[in-house]
Amino acid sequence: MSGLLGTSTADLVATWVAAIVTLIVLGGLLGERRVFAWSQHLLAGLATGYLALIVIAEVIGPRLVQPLMADPAGRPDLWLGVALAATAAGAPWLPRPLAAVPASVAIGALAAFALGGAVIGTLLPQIDAAIVRPGGSPAATVGGAVAAVITGLVLVGFLHGVPRGRALTAAAGAGRWLLLGGLGGWLGFLLLSRLTLLVDRIGFLVGDWLGMAG
Amino acid sequence: MTDRARLLGRVLPLVLVVALAAAWPLEAPSWLRLATPDAGAAVSMRTALDGLPEDPIVLVGFDPDIGTYAEIRPTVRGLLADLLARDTRLAFVSLTPEGRALAIAELARLRRGEANLARLVDLGFVPGAEAGLVDLARGLAPTTPDGALARTLADEGMAAVDGVAVIGGNDLGPRSWVEQVRPRVDEIPFVAVTPTILLPEVQPYVTGGQLAAVLATPRDGAAYRDGLDLGNLSRLAEERGPSTVPILLGLLAAIAVLGQALGARVLGKVRAARGRDPA
Repeated sequence: MSGLLGTSTADLVATWVAAIVTLIVLGGLLGERRVFAWSQHLLAGLATGYLALIVIAEVIGPRLVQPLMADPAGRPDLWLGVALAATAAGAPWLPRPLAAVPASVAIGALAAFALGGAVIGTLLPQIDAAIVRPGGSPAATVGGAVAAVITGLVLVGFLHGVPRGRALTAAAGAGRWLLLGGLGGWLGFLLLSRLTLLVDRIGFLVGDWLGMAG
Repeated sequence: MTDRARLLGRVLPLVLVVALAAAWPLEAPSWLRLATPDAGAAVSMRTALDGLPEDPIVLVGFDPDIGTYAEIRPTVRGLLADLLARDTRLAFVSLTPEGRALAIAELARLRRGEANLARLVDLGFVPGAEAGLVDLARGLAPTTPDGALARTLADEGMAAVDGVAVIGGNDLGPRSWVEQVRPRVDEIPFVAVTPTILLPEVQPYVTGGQLAAVLATPRDGAAYRDGLDLGNLSRLAEERGPSTVPILLGLLAAIAVLGQALGARVLGKVRAARGRDPA
């Protein structure tokens, strides 16, 4: 049982609404499309409303309006952010070089953080961890070697349009099969996750809603 | 599509759903127990939590995905109850709207379960994805700066934090925390609970020592929950884990559908080969 809802009247109503919508979604599985489509619209509307609420209540209010009202002259960074947001909103009517500034800043910052983090937090430490050190266990050495071979074969499998001999062709074929094997394993994980979700929803109907907990 | 195939397409899912509902209350036989005999991940998690100092503060990065939360929910609740049973103070933060919704629901559940509210603080939703994580590493801002815990976090930021527990599943999971926060803070343990689908992503961080412990499969989670000693806080843990009998039924159904598709292709090829035979 999910236990996400309590026993108050509001929680009881929420349980009934959730149960009815769950049944509607399961009805879509059985071929009932009209009400299912309605429930999808409901989800989209609720998600949009929730996002707006989060943005207003937890971002714009406490992180922008309140600091600016408390000390308008002391936060030039926030005024700069407001100017960038206004520029983005007015992009259709502004010259292209000016309109491109907010998107460029956003994309550049995102790429810089993601790339810098990937190098410092993943690439370098993982290369360091992959180096075989004297005194390590034989199992770790073999595991590292197997991982290196598989990585190499899969990378070779991505070679397209490059002239290659028999050995490289065989390696690329093996790499593609290994890639397929990896994707198959990943899909197996996904199947397990989704099945657990389906069983959990059924458990919600049987346990939380109908009160037939085992 | 024939009428028979159309009818089967509608009836079979109904049969599956009814079968799963009928199997849900069933007690799993011993051979279907989830808890793995190899409790390495559970032991690592317990060791990491044992290593926390007295009266620690743990920052909980709560960003699971709604689609996979059902899989990790019992383990997440077990971990939160375990941390509270160890007199840990918990600070919740989310970087995705989905994670924030689930964090609100879990905080409400902890309040209903009469957890010690002085040991909980809500840092709310932090926008900005990776930039938001970097911002977190520079300072923490509780949504309501009331109480000693909130004031400590507001004054000292990440320096007051003794450990980080990441509840993953969404875009900003353990990998993002390891990449953006870990290099910017002192040596504190990072632990994680993630759905199985993230296992290939997080396992290298465990092997490389960047994550102290990860519970990433239902079996690891069950092994961890089996070893919990929560005392009177057991009310905060989930009463029952995932039902394994209906999951097994579903897996068998999936294998049957896959086998049927493969079988139909093989049968088609055999028939085509026979048709070409000059008999």
